[in-house]
Amino acid sequence: MTRRLAPVLLELLVPVAILVAFGLWSAQADSFYFPPLTEIAREFWNTWVFAGFRNDLLPSLGRLLAGYGASVVLGVLAGLVLGMVRIARTAAEPVIEFLRALPAPALIPFALLLFGTADSGKVFLIVLGTVWPILLNTIDGVRGVEQQQLDMAHSYRIPGYARLWRIVLPAAGPRIFAGMRTSLSIAIILMVVSEMVASRNGVGYFVLQSQRAFAIPEMWSGIVVLGVLGFTLNWLFLRFEDRFLFWHRGSKGLLSTDRR
Amino acid sequence: MLEVKALRKVYGSDAEAKPAVADLSFEVAEGEFVCILGSSGCGKTTMLRCLSGLAPATSGEVLLYGTPVTGPPADMSFVFQDYSRSLLPWMSVARNVAFPLRHKGFSAREARAATDEALQAVGLAGQGRSYPWQLSGGMQQRVAIARALAYRPRILLMDEPFASVDAQTRAELEDLLLRIWERFGVTIVFVTHDIDEAVYLADRVLVLSAPATVRHVADVALPRPRGQLETKRLPEFAGLRSELLSSLQRERAAA
Repeated sequence: MTRRLAPVLLELLVPVAILVAFGLWSAQADSFYFPPLTEIAREFWNTWVFAGFRNDLLPSLGRLLAGYGASVVLGVLAGLVLGMVRIARTAAEPVIEFLRALPAPALIPFALLLFGTADSGKVFLIVLGTVWPILLNTIDGVRGVEQQQLDMAHSYRIPGYARLWRIVLPAAGPRIFAGMRTSLSIAIILMVVSEMVASRNGVGYFVLQSQRAFAIPEMWSGIVVLGVLGFTLNWLFLRFEDRFLFWHRGSKGLLSTDRR
Repeated sequence: MLEVKALRKVYGSDAEAKPAVADLSFEVAEGEFVCILGSSGCGKTTMLRCLSGLAPATSGEVLLYGTPVTGPPADMSFVFQDYSRSLLPWMSVARNVAFPLRHKGFSAREARAATDEALQAVGLAGQGRSYPWQLSGGMQQRVAIARALAYRPRILLMDEPFASVDAQTRAELEDLLLRIWERFGVTIVFVTHDIDEAVYLADRVLVLSAPATVRHVADVALPRPRGQLETKRLPEFAGLRSELLSSLQRERAAA
């Protein structure tokens, strides 16, 4: 029991120490920019537990998931096609390279023109920023499928759709997940940025508005929400990846026995 | 049942290109165990790809029960050399074996029964829920053989299937294959570069030279059932062994 608990406690130790240190320091600092931790915590509770959750966090999450989800679907589908069809890949490559080099926030003014402050503009921006890592990784993953696995499927007369679904897609899985992981953090960044520029709600909007109203504890509470959101989504993502890619670590001999 | 007639395979469209298979002709009878012996690079793998319908021949033809092979036939299974790359690591052993069956029209119940029977036949009953990467190399190749068997083939093509396991495992797998061959009455075309293995297993050994063409045929009249110790002690075994060895050496000297 203690042997299992010890690493968990060790991991908790540093964050707790930082929080305690900051709490002690901020309580006596009397700084306008760094309000006491207790005040931030109170604001966090007052703002985010009910009203803020519904008014700002849910809209933010909605945009994030819509944009990220669309990116995953688009990126994987297009990646499968481009990974398998050489002509299409050659033709699409310059465009992909240009678009992915373009910083997505550069298109915020354009998105404003096109969509105004509607959610679709933010979703559009998130898709535009997050689809490339997924697309490019999927292409690489598809191209890296073992020829012998495809030969095997061919020799057993396995039809094309099953080869795609049961062989190409899982074989590309590790690369697809690598792309999705990169894209997830980009998606969170773009969600916040787009909400700061053109929005009437959302956590990013809340943080900026609080700062403009000199409501510093509120501002900090919003930042904490964003941190917790990013951390939680990444944690969920890793659990999800674990379930899909356990075979990958297993076949590479990386399935350690002491995983918690 | 299997006829190969003047088979020729040239990669690329260049008229100057050297063929991988040139004027290859032989026949395999129903239920026969034929070993094809050749040194590496003599076009064995290309030949098997043409036989299995994975690659089209440049000229000549392959007939299975009188029907030209233009794609992988439904009553043929192919066992690849590299089990680690022909088994799917994201599927359990049982799912690997059953994977081709649903597409061959087996019902879920039939597929399960065929899978259990095949795993039983290769000595892996109860391993269905493992994953290939949890098994040793020899066991993985057994899974590949089980998959081939469950498919209910009338002919089994095997491309150096035991080349990458240790000697002890190899001997076990050879004996396993002989038992399966006798039990299921399947025809086997087995490619190898190992003379002992060819003589031990086969009814008939064909020696190939590069580009793949038959240079020598040896009938193996050793008694069955065969055993690693008894069979390999026989003077006829040693005779066949040296006959094939000198044939291979002649080919290499000529090349």
